Amino acid sequence: MVLALARTWSGYRTAVRLGWLVSSNWTSPVPFVIYTIIRPISGALILVVMYNVITGGRGNTRNYLAFLVIGVSFWAFVTEGVSDFAVGILEDRGRFKMLKYAYLAPLRFPVFLVGRASSKLTSAVASVAIVLVVATVGLRLPINPLSVDYPLLAIACLLAFISVMAFSIALSVVLLAGRDAYGYGEIMAQVLYIVSGAIFPISVLPGPLAFFASLSPLVYWLELTRRSILHGRVYEMFPGLSDGEVLTRLALATAGTVLLGYLVYRWADRQARWKGYIDMDAAQ
Amino acid sequence: MKSSPSEFEIFWRTVLARAYPRVVGLSRNLSWLFFDFAFPLVGTFAMVFVYQGLHAPRQYLGFVVMGGGMLAFWQNVLWTMGTQFSWDRGNGTLELMAVSPTSFEAVLLGMAGGAMIMTTLRAVAIIVLGSLLFKVTYNLGGLPPAIGVFLLTLAALYGLGMLLASLFLYYSREAWHLGDAIQEPVNFLSGLYFPVHALGAYVGGAASLIPVTLGLDAMRQFLLPGTPRFLDPALETVIVALEIPLFAILAVSSLRFMEVRARREGKLISKWS
Amino acid sequence: MPRTPNPSSDASRLAVETRDLGRVYKTRNETVTALSSVDLKVREGELFGVLGPNGAGKTTLIKILVTLLLPSSGTAKVDGLDVVREFRQLRSRIAIVSGGENAGYGLLRVREQLWMFSQFYGIKSKVAYARIDELLERLGLASVANRQISGLSSGMRQKMNLVRGLMTDPRVLFLDEPTVALDVGAARDLREEVSRWMAEDPTRTVILTTHYMQEADDLCDRIAIVNRGRIVIEGTPQSLKLEVQRDVVVDLQLEPGVPVLDRLREVAGVGAASVREEDGLDRFSLLLADDAVLTNVISAVERSGRRVAGLAKREPTLEDAFVKLVGRSMTEEETQ
Repeated sequence: MVLALARTWSGYRTAVRLGWLVSSNWTSPVPFVIYTIIRPISGALILVVMYNVITGGRGNTRNYLAFLVIGVSFWAFVTEGVSDFAVGILEDRGRFKMLKYAYLAPLRFPVFLVGRASSKLTSAVASVAIVLVVATVGLRLPINPLSVDYPLLAIACLLAFISVMAFSIALSVVLLAGRDAYGYGEIMAQVLYIVSGAIFPISVLPGPLAFFASLSPLVYWLELTRRSILHGRVYEMFPGLSDGEVLTRLALATAGTVLLGYLVYRWADRQARWKGYIDMDAAQ
Repeated sequence: MKSSPSEFEIFWRTVLARAYPRVVGLSRNLSWLFFDFAFPLVGTFAMVFVYQGLHAPRQYLGFVVMGGGMLAFWQNVLWTMGTQFSWDRGNGTLELMAVSPTSFEAVLLGMAGGAMIMTTLRAVAIIVLGSLLFKVTYNLGGLPPAIGVFLLTLAALYGLGMLLASLFLYYSREAWHLGDAIQEPVNFLSGLYFPVHALGAYVGGAASLIPVTLGLDAMRQFLLPGTPRFLDPALETVIVALEIPLFAILAVSSLRFMEVRARREGKLISKWS
Repeated sequence: MPRTPNPSSDASRLAVETRDLGRVYKTRNETVTALSSVDLKVREGELFGVLGPNGAGKTTLIKILVTLLLPSSGTAKVDGLDVVREFRQLRSRIAIVSGGENAGYGLLRVREQLWMFSQFYGIKSKVAYARIDELLERLGLASVANRQISGLSSGMRQKMNLVRGLMTDPRVLFLDEPTVALDVGAARDLREEVSRWMAEDPTRTVILTTHYMQEADDLCDRIAIVNRGRIVIEGTPQSLKLEVQRDVVVDLQLEPGVPVLDRLREVAGVGAASVREEDGLDRFSLLLADDAVLTNVISAVERSGRRVAGLAKREPTLEDAFVKLVGRSMTEEETQ
């Protein structure tokens, strides 16, 4: 038992390290940092300009600006964890042709996937921090690191990471069961963008979409990150719900996502093996 | 070779031949259809909802919808033209293209041209669906000049795409990340989701180097009355027209330069770097 | 059987000529000399083999000759054109087919893919299709002409690649390990087609790099053995075999046991020795100065505790020449 755990931990660490190397070793550190900074800041700037164009930056709308900026900054976790992760797994298969070895290794494949997803989520931390710092300094958002509700933020992020991992792992295996699946990871991230309340409240969505969004753990996670960072000074999607109630909803939605993810994983894994796509060549 | 075709014949035959896989791919790989339509649609709708969340005037939804249409072309240039070289390098196709008497310019035009059918369909789908769903109305009188500006913008944009592709000839994974890194900044600077007037004279002026910036602004001014004016649309059109030879010359020079560099450093023969 | 050189080709015309050709690869951490002072002359109409272990510089040489790579020093001409300065004109006269090639687009059909590549040479579609169909027929691929590339076996795929190389009717065809990883039948088909293609026109030239000695022996008019970036020797397969003509060539089979290759090499009179494992036995090829050396070899084997499972004298092969000239066998070199 202990040996099995040690082996799993070692395999997990290897997968994390592999993910990090694949993400970062394409260049020297300076371009990598520029790349890491440019992407998220540009995404945030688009929203800031859209906000300014409409509101003129009036003081009574600052809570909404905080809503937008925190939402888009934390969104990096989903971009990295869903879109970039799915592309990474497909690249392992088609481009680097190493997925089959990970699949056949004594280490259980889901552990490999969790390791790769972990490295993606970890690398998103820099992006989140950069946008928040720029927003605090450049946009004068009243973010004070000393008054952040860290326990709430940590619990919310932990649950969200579990959901994102469950979702992205299931998604990546679904994509492995398809032939030409590049791009779907990105589309899924975009779909989640719409139903997550990252850049607009879900009440803006048409009825059925709003209901669907209310089942997503991401909505409650982003609500809690906003509250934990800027309680009372940020636009809230669920003003009628206490932090505890939002947290409960996040926990329930996470449990549902994990269960659904597990079932989808099992099904997609069989499909991928049945079709012989685990080691499919990119040129095929 | 017993018969020696002219350079021009090799050029146009290459354009058609390289476009061919893209065209037949539409019918043989339906997943492309889904990807090509869904991605920009979803992204555009997200931005529309942002404006709805801000209770923006309906005209702003039109800015986003038109921006979404142009986004399809920008993405086509960036990903099917630029990064395709990276894929072709990976499976050895680039090597075979390089060793043939054709030119990379012809290959790139073929790549982009083949994808153009799909891109146009998807841009039309975004504009039609977006306009219907979000009730955007246009000044149809501005349609002829808008189409003219659109064609000029496209020509300049494809020159820019060829310039970017020359980087992909030399770089591999770095270029892939470069493409990834510049996508959002270009979306921002070219005012895909807001009138470029909002960027101010200096940032907007610098952003004018991206053909989409002024081209899209001119089209908006023609089609969406009340668009905040950055420059006179006639002047914007002239600048975009001037960008066509500028990017064409830069692209051809850069492709030649990068090819020599790639041959010197063995980049044409390395599958992955 | 070695190919008979084309009598009607102009033997004074050179298809390939290199002078003092060199190539150095520089990375952040090291500088590697892949080719050094290579002087090569291949006559028009020849099927010229470049033999050497992995990393010997064969592929670097080919990539320079097909204009994909610039040399660091020296000059190279193919079909009379300089590969550095006149590369654009040269490209319509050459073609390359590499082993394990995966180029192209999997969703295209065989015929479509070949047509696509033909257009990069500006060939009229009607002419291209006629050539493609003829070559597909000759290589036994007519039945899969309309199959998607993704559905081809590796043998079929490599035959298709050869069709791609031949359809543009190049003056000089470069074959870089074309039969690597192919089964016996597919490799034979490829070799036969290359021979047939050359026989059709005496001015056609082929430069072949290969790992397979027998392939080189069967196909090539002349061979250059490359090792560590330099040409060790150049000549006809027969002339290379003459290098070991005066030696006694012995195949010695030993049952498994402690390594003895180095010991055998140390025995006085052993010119060269190589070993490969086959059917659970170590099969040594030994080049001996004369028959008397064999006694000392057997003594050395007995001292090492190894048991002899078989012993036979045989005629020298190209492989023996390679081992003598390079110092070790192809497979040994690969592992270093």
